[in-house]
Amino acid sequence: MTAPVQSRERILSRIRTATASVSAPANQLADVYGRVARTYVRQGKLSNEKRLELMTERLREYDAGVVEATPAELAAVIAGQLESSGKRIFVAPAGLPKEWLAPGFDWKIDEQLTSAEIELTEGVVTASSCAIAESGTIVLHHGPAEGRRVISLLPDWHLCVLRASQVVETLPEYFDRFPKAPPLVTWISGPSATADIEMTRIKGVHGPRFLHVIVVRDDV
Amino acid sequence: MSAAILDPKLAPPFRDAVLPVLRNPMLRKNVAHATQVIQNKRAKLVAEKTDWQELRASASAIRTHVLENLGAYLEQFEERCTAAGGVVHWASDANEARAIILDLLRQENATEAIKIKTMTSAEIQLNPYLETAGITVHETDLAEIILQLGKEEPSHIVVPALHINRSQVREIFSRTMHLENLSDDPKALTAAARHYLREKFLRVPTAISGANFLIAETGAVAVVESEGNGRMCLTLPETMITVVGVEKVLPRFQDLEVMLQILARSATGERMNPYTSLWTGVTPGDGPQRFHVVLLDNERTSILARPKERQTLKCIRCAACMNHCPVYRQTGGHAYGSCYPGPIGAILTPQLMRMEYAQTLPFASSLCGACFEVCPVKIDIPAVLLDLRADAVNIERKEAKRAFDLMYLGLRVANTIFSRPWIFHTAQWFGRVGLRAFTGKDGWIKWLPSIGGRWTHNRDLRGLPSQSFHEWWAARAKETK
Amino acid sequence: MRASLFIACYNDSLFPETGRAVTRLLERLGVELDFHPGQTCCGQMHANSGFRAEAFSQAKRLVRLYEKDEIVVIPGSSCVAMMREQYPGIFQELGNESQRQELAAFLPKVYELSEFLIDKLQVEDVGAYFPHRVTYHASCHGLRGLHLGDRPFRLLSKVRGIDFVPLENMDRCCGFGGTFSVKNPEISQAMLTVKLHDILSTKAEFCTALDNSCLMHLGGAMHRQYAAMRTIHMAEILASTEDCPTEVLT
Repeated sequence: MTAPVQSRERILSRIRTATASVSAPANQLADVYGRVARTYVRQGKLSNEKRLELMTERLREYDAGVVEATPAELAAVIAGQLESSGKRIFVAPAGLPKEWLAPGFDWKIDEQLTSAEIELTEGVVTASSCAIAESGTIVLHHGPAEGRRVISLLPDWHLCVLRASQVVETLPEYFDRFPKAPPLVTWISGPSATADIEMTRIKGVHGPRFLHVIVVRDDV
Repeated sequence: MSAAILDPKLAPPFRDAVLPVLRNPMLRKNVAHATQVIQNKRAKLVAEKTDWQELRASASAIRTHVLENLGAYLEQFEERCTAAGGVVHWASDANEARAIILDLLRQENATEAIKIKTMTSAEIQLNPYLETAGITVHETDLAEIILQLGKEEPSHIVVPALHINRSQVREIFSRTMHLENLSDDPKALTAAARHYLREKFLRVPTAISGANFLIAETGAVAVVESEGNGRMCLTLPETMITVVGVEKVLPRFQDLEVMLQILARSATGERMNPYTSLWTGVTPGDGPQRFHVVLLDNERTSILARPKERQTLKCIRCAACMNHCPVYRQTGGHAYGSCYPGPIGAILTPQLMRMEYAQTLPFASSLCGACFEVCPVKIDIPAVLLDLRADAVNIERKEAKRAFDLMYLGLRVANTIFSRPWIFHTAQWFGRVGLRAFTGKDGWIKWLPSIGGRWTHNRDLRGLPSQSFHEWWAARAKETK
Repeated sequence: MRASLFIACYNDSLFPETGRAVTRLLERLGVELDFHPGQTCCGQMHANSGFRAEAFSQAKRLVRLYEKDEIVVIPGSSCVAMMREQYPGIFQELGNESQRQELAAFLPKVYELSEFLIDKLQVEDVGAYFPHRVTYHASCHGLRGLHLGDRPFRLLSKVRGIDFVPLENMDRCCGFGGTFSVKNPEISQAMLTVKLHDILSTKAEFCTALDNSCLMHLGGAMHRQYAAMRTIHMAEILASTEDCPTEVLT
């Protein structure tokens, strides 16, 4: 086998030769990139109300549960959602607001829980970073209030708290809001699904089979 | 179920490979059904999008820009990924890639690995190689488990088991997972797979994945999926090895705003697939603490060097082309003898094989153009097919036996006929006379010998009229004088 | 208006009635038609088979033949697609600068028949009468290569007496693909079976299209199978009038 360094040089040298007549000099690359035509829709046109309606509609198409709450009632609404889940043991990210940890449930705060420990929980509560109404997508950046990726993956039930002000209409708008890429991102557009058997769409393969979203009206 | 050969070096010519498929009504029904479902879903969402053509144009432009500056972007990716704690390896070909991956597994003392579906690993035939080396590879995509447990080969790059129906899946699962009372309801089958895989996700510390996109700007990797097995594999294990073609890089994080919109709609007919994950090197405390990327060339740089063929590398593996291909619809994927079937396979596979194998694939098309019409990154597949046909002929022409090949003879004769009008007109006269013996009273020909039989085996041919158009024109001109 | 007709090699030999219909139609619409007897083939068969050098030799002859004409009308969408899609690349690869310039002057002159009627003559109602049930198959080259769009429908909709029935999966390939049906006869037949099923389901008397290559494939199968339908080039429908109904050759 060619030594690793040799392969690198070989491949890059072949690329250089292959693209010699079309590649931009290093100091012009950004300019050439900037000249790529982008005439697709970047900004949505919906009003705030219509955008939230669309978000809810798309979430419900995925069988996600959606309820609204004012900031004042949020803690109570969370408690209500946890209650109707019929579940008791929940994992929460270490940075989840304390008011959200409704009493009467067995809370496991994730301070480097093992997978085996998380596997014993029944649900998870997280905040979120953004949501895209057009596709009903919730975006997690896995910061302190959203938690490590494993805790929103292993439990079967996920309650996601989404602020109305976090909802954008189009995917390009998300990228406008976050020009600097976070190191970890998970885009969630409904529970997992497969159509591998006869194109029959089956929901809930791996990952939480039940998604519930509270849309906090922090915009009114 | 057939044991299809998906090694281009061993696969039969396309014409022969399709025969068992054409005689398999169940497989043809499954393929027609699957492709129609995705066609319909995609069409609905494309109609809903007001800027679909603009997205395609930008997607094509971004991919073209990347390919033209591939070296710079790969180096940038390497630098950023390394700074974020990843280790980047470069593999010139399949042999090297496999050896690198095995070496990394050995360093971990790994005896097993869980795997996210990646066609790149099928391209380098990774699984058999690792199995021979004593490493058990557990596929975790539902389709891939079906194929692995059923000892089958993929026939589509997004829905690899679309040729297998529910009762066949039931049979495979109940046999290999030892489940006696398993029904053939897809829900039950999926639940069986979920249960079967759960303990593996929690136990196996090493994972192998592919990647949909590499982000040069930040050294990030993006995996687009539906089932969640991807998230499992890239979150739970300690070591992650990602093998990916060098062409998969995008300049910036922001470029995903185009790619994610077109990929989901094209591949599965959804506005967005359920889960897309992006990670950058190693994040302490979250996910694998050892992360390796194996960048694979394997003839991609040869394709890159040819201006007309370069566009082959724009591909984002959405499979829209094969979902709309009227040839694929009747044959499914196995007939193409490669892990890359359909229209993209017809241009990619021969090129990855340096035109030493799979030379019948560029001819496995009626050039209808449906693929180009739906390709989200605007690969002009028909144009590349035509180029590869010319390549194949230029190679074949030099062979001595071609002097006796009826197709070659016929085309040479036809060229002479078309080179001068008097030869053309004389040939028409000869044709009229010669075919008279085969022409019935109703003026139609039902049978022709030799190469003519390729027409008459399934169609009649109307006999040559006694007066050609140009003769009619000349006669009319004389009359009016 | 003056126009020169490129009839296409297969029409000249096998479907002269299409040429006669085109002549009748265009002359009825006031076009002064020329026909260069030196024409043969556009080179498509060779180009699609990978025989580029041979295709080029035919192509450059053809381009030169129409040097003095201003308009070239072609009742065959696959020939027009060949010229627009493949000629530039072939001339780039195998021709010299002067030949490329000839090509650049030639291409804007070329009109597929429905393009000529709609775009150049700006006519939809050509005065046709064809009292039959008809369905339309969108040949791949015309549909995707030339983007003929709704031109065929606009023309057919104005034909008096016509009973037009839409074809399901109208845009699906018939399986001919020229040498494709010779190199891969079995899969070509499989595609033909599926296509014929859709066409015959329309219960039309005629299946029409803008290209006789598809029609000879479909029509040959219909004839073999004693199907209750035949094929007809759209030019022959458009040429048909009450006084002079189109000749339907046996």
